[in-house]
Amino acid sequence: MTDGTRVDESAVAALQFADSFLPAGSFTTSYGVEQFVAAEDVADADDLQALVGTYLDRQVGPCDMVVVAAAHGAAGGGDHAELRRVDRRLSAVQLPAEFRESSTRTGGQLLSLVADTEADAFLAAYDEAVDAGTAPGNYAAALGAVAARTGMTARQAALGLGYSFVTDLVGAAQRVLRIGHTDVQRIVTESRPAIVAAWEANEDRTVEELSPFAPLVDVLSTEHERAERRLFLS
Amino acid sequence: MAVTNPRDAFAAYAAERLPPAADGAVGKEGRLDAAFAAVDGETRLVQDYATAPFHLTGGLNHDRALPGLATVYLQSPTGAVAQGDRHDLTVTVGEDAQAHVTTGNATKVHSMDRNYGRVDVALSVAEGGYLEYLPEPTILHTDARYRGETTLSVADGASAIIGEVLVPGRLARDEAFEFERAYTRLQARGPDGLLFEDATDLHPDERDPRRPGVMGDHDVLGTLYVVGDAAADPLHERVADATAARAGATALPNEAGVMVRALGARAAVSGTLDAAWDEARQTLVGAPAPERRKD
Repeated sequence: MTDGTRVDESAVAALQFADSFLPAGSFTTSYGVEQFVAAEDVADADDLQALVGTYLDRQVGPCDMVVVAAAHGAAGGGDHAELRRVDRRLSAVQLPAEFRESSTRTGGQLLSLVADTEADAFLAAYDEAVDAGTAPGNYAAALGAVAARTGMTARQAALGLGYSFVTDLVGAAQRVLRIGHTDVQRIVTESRPAIVAAWEANEDRTVEELSPFAPLVDVLSTEHERAERRLFLS
Repeated sequence: MAVTNPRDAFAAYAAERLPPAADGAVGKEGRLDAAFAAVDGETRLVQDYATAPFHLTGGLNHDRALPGLATVYLQSPTGAVAQGDRHDLTVTVGEDAQAHVTTGNATKVHSMDRNYGRVDVALSVAEGGYLEYLPEPTILHTDARYRGETTLSVADGASAIIGEVLVPGRLARDEAFEFERAYTRLQARGPDGLLFEDATDLHPDERDPRRPGVMGDHDVLGTLYVVGDAAADPLHERVADATAARAGATALPNEAGVMVRALGARAAVSGTLDAAWDEARQTLVGAPAPERRKD
């Protein structure tokens, strides 16, 4: 590398931003799983696996991954207005209040982190817009933007989001449910094709057609919002 | 993976030609326009245009707690949506007017082997206006293909209560989730643009609706959207433990109001939405929900 061209580090960036080591605070979210366990609707590894499948198929795929790809497109073209529009659309379809809360909290943390570490004026300016309250700063929108600015493809970013979603969710489940490490890894392994399928079924979808649909998750989330004892924000 | 985007699925249905209709068949493109205006402290139905199969009762000012509110029953002798039907409903509530719009009976979406049935509803409420749009449930028969698109537009200081109950079949004869596809969407807009959007996306053959997190063990899905200056906690308390349905309330995005979601048996879900309607009505216009004449 003597000619000054930048090495392709995107595969490493993809690992960095899908890693639970990333201090974006996603360990504070359980995506409602805490309430499913409290209500005894999830009691073992099989129940958990089924619930993870629902989330990937009905929430992460037709909603979050679509936002990742659209934000990736907007940020790749340097278009702040479009990124803000994509970000706002995600807020408008996330109906349970605590899902919006944890999404903007983790997204805001990711943006303030990369504003310091990435030397990218576009990301720093978007972080300021979120701080100023002119954009919500949802995690999927922030991740899509970071991915585009660090050379990842939209596919890499969406699969990364799917992976970290699964690890956050089973990680949370492990703290509220009696479940071993091997079972947890089995769920992650068995989720691999589901993560890819969630992306492939929705990669052509636009943000005009976001349709998360998991009404029972919505209801449990309303119970979780008001639970007296809880470990997680959502 | 075989999952189809609802957009593509309905585009494919639309290309399927209908068998020739009998001479003089009417009602495939039913249309209804209703407009309410406040006149001398009372709301009047000032515009009423209906084509078959729709008929509208005149405005009834029989709500004792809210004498200024006009109640209108949207009637349809067929009470149904058949293949190829395109129904288009528009309800406009003028400044400071108050209206309650409901249907006399459930809407049955019939079995289909070609094309699909679609109902578009456009609701708008001007400044200081108040609309309750609470139709009876939609029942999806075996092999039904149903597309529902509802838009709500609210001005500053306007409020609305919108209810939707989806019954997945003629449950009394053990028909449940045997319809082909149902996709319904509500989009709510305020003066500054999109407030929130909610979609129901069911295609039972492709994905089991009784999966955990989707419908679970429940059959009927009901949602009440309270758009305006309302808080989630009182609504949640009213529905969470007091009703037989699994239900809860949460604050909508963009400070638009509150959503109440309920899952369960049909009577339990309807009862939950009625309780939430009563609570929300007291908050928004200071009056309890009336006993309805059809009940």
